[in-house]
Amino acid sequence: MTESRIEAVTARLCAVSRQQYVNPYRDLVWPERLDLDQWFTSPELISLHGTAVYEALREDQQRRLSFYEAVNFFSLNIHGEKALIEGLARRLYQRDKGAIAPYLHHFLDEENKHMVYFGGFCNRYAGKIYPDRKLDVPRDYQPGEEDLLFFARVLIFEEIVDVYNVAMAADRRLAPIAREINRAHHRDEARHLVFGREIVAALLDQYRDQWAADVLRGIKEYLQTYLVATWKEYYNPDVYRDVGIEDAYAIRQRAFSSDTCVAHRVRVTERCLGYLQQHGLADRNFAL
Amino acid sequence: MTAEAGVRQALKAWIVETSGKISADELAGDTPIIERRIISSLQIMDLILFIEELSGRSIDVEQLKVGVFRNIDAIYHNFFVERTDGP
Repeated sequence: MTESRIEAVTARLCAVSRQQYVNPYRDLVWPERLDLDQWFTSPELISLHGTAVYEALREDQQRRLSFYEAVNFFSLNIHGEKALIEGLARRLYQRDKGAIAPYLHHFLDEENKHMVYFGGFCNRYAGKIYPDRKLDVPRDYQPGEEDLLFFARVLIFEEIVDVYNVAMAADRRLAPIAREINRAHHRDEARHLVFGREIVAALLDQYRDQWAADVLRGIKEYLQTYLVATWKEYYNPDVYRDVGIEDAYAIRQRAFSSDTCVAHRVRVTERCLGYLQQHGLADRNFAL
Repeated sequence: MTAEAGVRQALKAWIVETSGKISADELAGDTPIIERRIISSLQIMDLILFIEELSGRSIDVEQLKVGVFRNIDAIYHNFFVERTDGP
């Protein structure tokens, strides 16, 4: 890791974190009850938007769907952040990561706080968090490979989430609490994304020449599969069942491969995929 | 075709299509699909959704170990055979 550059970025991000972190216990106002006949997810970001199933719903059903889509969005953030916290905690004060340790403290702290408001919304208003269906399979790694995959996964996950956060923080159609959560999350994530791009590039610089071609090919293949798997979590049949849509699994499969939804994913992923391709972590012709 | 044969055939078809790394002829009930990376860890979420659809029951993922997906035989016995102690 090139310490001078990453140290400079870390110092700058730490200073901003100390001044601007979001306090979920103070900065959010929670309504006692929610009127579910509001938008909680921007209609254009609802997973089924543009499909025949979505168009066949009445507007009140679409709004109800937007509520459960928000619960799913917040749930998958909780699951992503739990894995992130585990990975960050394991790396805190490792000998080769002294330069980034000060920022890992903020990163951990902020991710924990995010789960407070994501979990707060889900449990208060839906009475549940949608379950995580991911399972880890242990495997061996080359030196530096596990770190690179960890930070690249974090970056991919947060890049997609941030596009949604920015759009929904600015969307005046949304219930205020939904906008506020998206706004609060974006404020912290903007720093995490800067850090993520720096650390992934630094790890690549440090290790790329040490890895055989098949290791690099494996990394690329894994990250491309991760990108698709991350998107699949946005299409949750449990959500569709909760608004009474029949054949939820088949609807999910059809929606995911529909031209409309593919085009949406390409738009949202453009910045993230561009970064991965620029750094040789995704193929130029990779298709979502 | 028996119910068991139908389930096994559906699982096989799903694995072959999702993986792209093995043909139906090569995939037996005891072929290790995780260990041989025929199905990756990232595809297990989709496999769980497919099993839920096929069995008509939701799966409590918090209680699972990855070994329950090690091959078609294990998947069948853990999720499609009536048991009193769960997978």
